[in-house]
Parts: sequence; C-alpha cells; structure tokens
Amino acid sequence: MVDMGAVIAGYSETKVVFKSGRSAYDLAGEAFAALLQSTGLEKHEIDGLSVTFPLSEAANPFFACYMSEALGLTPRWLNLSALGGCSAVGGVARAASALREGSCKFAVVLSADAPSTAWRSNYGAYRSEFQDPPGVQGPPATFGLLMSRYDHQFGLKPEALGKIAITQRANAVNNPNALDKFRTPLTMEDYLSSRMIADPLRILDCVMFCDGANAFLVTTPEHARERGLDKTVKAKAYAEVTNFKGDESCPDITESGFSAIASELYRKAGMTPGDIRMFQPYDDFTIAVLMQLEAFGFCERGKGSDYVLNTDLSVRGQLPLNTGGGQISVGQPGLASGGLNLVEAVRQMFGEASGRQIADPSTALVTGIGVIPYGRNWGTSAAMILEK
Amino acid sequence: MSGEKRRVAPQPNVYVPTQPFWDGAREGKLVLQYCKDTNRFQHYPRPVSIYTGSRNLEWRAVSGLGVIYACTTLRISGPGLEGRVPLEVATVELDEQVRLIANIADSDPARIRIGARVKLAWDRIDDTTNYPAFAVI
Repeated sequence: MVDMGAVIAGYSETKVVFKSGRSAYDLAGEAFAALLQSTGLEKHEIDGLSVTFPLSEAANPFFACYMSEALGLTPRWLNLSALGGCSAVGGVARAASALREGSCKFAVVLSADAPSTAWRSNYGAYRSEFQDPPGVQGPPATFGLLMSRYDHQFGLKPEALGKIAITQRANAVNNPNALDKFRTPLTMEDYLSSRMIADPLRILDCVMFCDGANAFLVTTPEHARERGLDKTVKAKAYAEVTNFKGDESCPDITESGFSAIASELYRKAGMTPGDIRMFQPYDDFTIAVLMQLEAFGFCERGKGSDYVLNTDLSVRGQLPLNTGGGQISVGQPGLASGGLNLVEAVRQMFGEASGRQIADPSTALVTGIGVIPYGRNWGTSAAMILEK
Repeated sequence: MSGEKRRVAPQPNVYVPTQPFWDGAREGKLVLQYCKDTNRFQHYPRPVSIYTGSRNLEWRAVSGLGVIYACTTLRISGPGLEGRVPLEVATVELDEQVRLIANIADSDPARIRIGARVKLAWDRIDDTTNYPAFAVI
C-alpha cells in the first residue's frame, strides 16, 4: 500500500445544459463559487489549482493562467490537466503529489467545458491525412470498429449494453443536475429500436456533448482537520497509462490500458474487486463500461455481457453503477466529463445523494478515459479508488 | 464513392513528410513507412520508429493483401462525408503485420466481415489523388 496523503474535502457541480450559451470561464466560476460556499474556505486560502484543458477554449495555450486571473487566484502550484476525460482524477492525483511536496495546502481541481456552445479545438496531427479520408472523424466510427472486434472475439449481447443504458438512465431521473431531456426512463425496446449509427453502435450507446463544470477541494487530512473540514474522502490509490501497447502495430484492441493498471491500482489500495462498493466508470460509450467491468476484475475477460445481464447494477444492487446517471444519461460536459462521475462518487460518500443514495458508500472506483486514437480503443486510461 | 459535393484531397506532409505515400498512391502502389532496424512496417507515419525511437526509416511498397480486423457501417454524416454514408469502414490488417483504417469498396455487404480476405482497391478523391481502400476477394 502507498499512501497518497490526500483527501477530497469538498465538491461542486453545475447543472448540465445543452447549448447554454455560456463560456467555460463562466461555468467554472459558478462551480468555484459553489465550492467556496460549501467548504467555507476563503478564496485567498486556495494556493493550488489544476485546470482541465477544455475543448471550448483549447485554442488558448495559456488557459490555466487565464483561469487563475478569471477567479482572482494566485496559485503557488498550477497544473493544466490535458488528459481529456482523465483530467479530473488525474488532476486530483497531481494535486496529491503537489501536497506531498508541500507546494500548496488547498488545491482546487476545476473542470469546465462548453463544447455544445463553442468548439475551439483542432486535433491536427495525422488526422487530415490518415483518419479523415476514410470517414473516421468522430468517435462513433472508432467505437463501431471496437465493438465489432469485441463481438467477434467474445460475443457482445445488445441487451447487456441496453441494460447499462437503462440502469444509468434510471439514476439520471433522480439527478437534478442531469440534462432535463434525459430525465425520463428508458425501456429495452427504446434501446433496441434506437438508431444504428456505426454498426453495432446505437445512438443510445453514446454520449451527447453539453456544457457544464465541476470542482473539488483537495488537501491533506491534517490541513482538512485544522480547517474544520469534517466531510472528507481519502484518495486511496491512483494509476494511469497512456498509449497502451504504443509500440505495437497489431495489438488486440479488446484489451485496454485498464487491464494494465487494474492490478497496480488494487495493490496500491490494498483492495480487491470485492472491496469496491460502487463503480463510477467513465462512460463515453456503453462498450467502455462493459470492457472496464472486465478489466477491473468484476468478471472474467470476455464475459461482460453475461455479467451485466446477471448482476443488479442499480443503486440498490450488488455493484451500483454510475449512480448519478453517468455521462451517457447526464450529458457530457465536454472534457469536464471526467469530473462528473468523480463528483457522484464523492457525493455518495458524503451521504448527499438523496433519492439515489446507496446503502454502503464506503469505497468507490472512479475512472477516466482520454482521447480516441487511430484504430485502437482509447488513449489514456486512469483510475482512482476512494475510501471513506 | 462519388459524392454530391466535390471532396477535398488532403494536404500531404502535414504531420511528418509523407510524400512517398501520396506519390505511391498516384501510381497505384501502397507505400508505407518501414523501420530498417526491426524490419517492421508502421502506420500511420511517425517522426520516429515506434519500435526503437530511431529515425532509421524508409518507405516500402506492401502487397496490398490482408484481412478485415474490424468493420463497421458508418451511418451518420459529417464534414467531408456528404453523400458518402452509409460508408463501409474497416481496420485492415495487412499480411505485412501493419493495420490501416480504410473503406471497403465494390464488395457485397454480406461478405464484409471480420476475417474476410481483402485486396487493395483505390478511392479516387479527385483527378490526381488516390486513397487506399480495399475490396473483399
């Protein structure tokens, strides 16, 4: 076991909205002010800041400095977290390192994005020559390819993916911060009859870009105690990997970076899959949830469909899954999405998830996924175990 | 693959020098980057060998024969996709142990499946630009 020496001592989030017409700065300000209010900290006490690099402001390489200015902060430790959907858990882990080094005492990990209002991102690189010509501009084609391969190797049951979508949607109904349009239950018939967009990927397997923000206060247990912050959860263990099998031309794409980091994560936490009381995985697509259930040892590799069909994943179930609805049913606030599932884990552990509170929120596994690469699954895989 | 709207050919040499790929395509040859230290191909082209990190790279023609590793039918449009959907997209694993994302053209949809043997075909983007595609054998 390795002690990260850090706790999350507060959280906040905005409602997720489609085409809000607001900027990432304005949304960040709302989350930041709410965090100060809920923790009782004064602004001048915040001496560390990790900012997620958002799609809507990605043309500005000085975004983190601009955000410091926008919030009137003078951080002694500043981090631009450009790990896409891993930026929130990655930001908490980097803040923990900074706290261990004594670089700061109270760090805010802040994610805000508004891609449904403004898209100012251009991935450039090889894409115009090698990815766009065959039509693979967006993630759906890549995930259609991934699902086809998974189905070929292991068998993929549409009803299992449907159950993930339905379970998460039922949780979003009880989440007032979810996109209003998604706060109605889904049926299996709705799922199975939803439009195919990149076979076998259906529209209800996917997220929808929205706008929103979230923030966390990260500090040491000692500083939290001194400052009278009595609600905290421990960042127990963290692991990440980028460009898994990056030196291979023909890797098995049904194996993701999560399979490489799962054992390291459990070892650092001194836990096994049986110790996890809720699973809050990054869910850009339902197949990613299914593959993570396998990678983190909740079931055997290739057995994800049967596991999902035979397991109660509801808030009252054996392994509560994305209890706030996940991004698929809350709406994906761009790259701030990585904070969505982390907020939900902390909220559950603080006992504040009214209407969807789980009985034993003592531990949580939260993950992030960053970037869709050429012909593989995803670029960065990050995971954190939280403990009360 | 003809679209209602004229397709714009990609600009070569944007990421790393790629002229041999585009020149080869114009002559009907698929030319890919090859690591001379490990005798292995890599695609897309990189600034170094992904196997060793060295720049001891060259361009070599491949057979154009392989199998479908993964495949999907893209049914939603996007920039540059006007008039092209539904579009058969595949990850093709060449006999030379390297993969490309490419369209499957001129093939019976029932035969487009994982494991199907494919050969090189060409997608004519404009009068002077070819792009590798594949057809089921």
